[in-house]
Amino acid sequence: MKHLTDEQLIEHYFGEGANRVMVETHLRICSRCEQVLEDITSALEVRGPEPPARDAQYGDRLWQSIQAPLTPYPGDPRRARFSWRISWPRTPWPSLVLAGACLLALAAAFFSGSLWERLRPHPNQAANSAQAPAQVKERVVLVILGDHLDRSERLLVQLNHAGAATPQSVDALRAEARQMLPDNRLYRQAISAQSDPTMTAALDHLERVLLEVANAPDQLDPDDIARIEHEMNTDSLLFQIRVLRARTTQAQTASASRKGSI
Amino acid sequence: MTKDDHSLVRQVLAGDKDAYGVLVSRHGETMFRVAFRITESEPDAEEVVQETFLRAYRSLPAFDARSDFRTWIYRIAVNCALQLLNRRKAEAAVPIAEEYDEERPGLQLVHRGAGPDRLLLDKEIEHRRHAAMEKMTSDERLAFVLRHIEGRSTDEIAAALDITPNNAKQAVFRAVQKMRRSLAPLWVKS
Repeated sequence: MKHLTDEQLIEHYFGEGANRVMVETHLRICSRCEQVLEDITSALEVRGPEPPARDAQYGDRLWQSIQAPLTPYPGDPRRARFSWRISWPRTPWPSLVLAGACLLALAAAFFSGSLWERLRPHPNQAANSAQAPAQVKERVVLVILGDHLDRSERLLVQLNHAGAATPQSVDALRAEARQMLPDNRLYRQAISAQSDPTMTAALDHLERVLLEVANAPDQLDPDDIARIEHEMNTDSLLFQIRVLRARTTQAQTASASRKGSI
Repeated sequence: MTKDDHSLVRQVLAGDKDAYGVLVSRHGETMFRVAFRITESEPDAEEVVQETFLRAYRSLPAFDARSDFRTWIYRIAVNCALQLLNRRKAEAAVPIAEEYDEERPGLQLVHRGAGPDRLLLDKEIEHRRHAAMEKMTSDERLAFVLRHIEGRSTDEIAAALDITPNNAKQAVFRAVQKMRRSLAPLWVKS
């Protein structure tokens, strides 16, 4: 024998369900289903607390408690709208006007949709045009940084060979260091924001060297230069700058080839 | 002669704010009873009733004159109660143990001689009934109260909760099952 489901029994309890006669017949012959219905009935006989009684003035007190923030409606325009809402279904004209307006709106939506499809740029084009400025910016940064590293390499090479240089060449070295210093600071800060620790460390090292050279006394003799080279470990810095310059050149090439593929 | 609800609504929209006071007085207690049955808390029910009438006043221009005002405001009250239940659930911390609140009003059970055993059983029943109500989702709880306590039809519940009649029926079904599971051990004991 197929038993009744809990859902059928709950529906039966609430006086719902399509086959009430079938359910009642089944319950008369099936003690198991009868027991389940008894359980459901027992559970549902348990009622929660009844609402506390309110006195006759409750409604007035409630109104007094909420009326202050309510502002009166302006009047006629609202009434007109309200009465329109009541009366419009009784006459056919507003319905026809409404139907006409709906058709017009539909036609306008269709026309503007097709126009939009024609005028709208293709998604791939939009993506490419969004990517392009970012790639151009990336290439510009690489070119500028490459130039800066190139200048830095030349300055370090000159510094390493300055022992035999004339006072004029030392002045030129100092002037170059002073010129490069603000640029280097700017690049270091920018690279630091992009979180490239190797490049940041190299530019930081370079900045200390540039500072030392730029603030060197007027008479920079070979001993001073040797001290700077030794203390600032310029040989190691030169190697680092060369590696970084090579890396930047590679990145420039990759960026240019990506541009070609777009 | 007392004016019907629609006339009062028209008066309110025409600028007569006091006409709304008549509507509040007329339906306030009914809405309180509904709110209390859903929230089972007097302060919460008061809050729901106030919020209901404030919200209804602001929405009055959108009231469809073909509808019944009582049904319309009833739906607003149910929605306000639902929002309050959800807010209370979000605010509630995870309980370490479920405690029975002695302050809560008593059960409406048949009096069979209130001996110590009966009082103890009543407490246990209330504790389990309350726990089952807490376990219900907001929709289940509302559907259960509206169907079982308020005697609303499935279609009315569906309209009040803005769900399909089938979902309303399922919500009632799940709620009854939760109540039944929670109370079943007591029937075995007794």
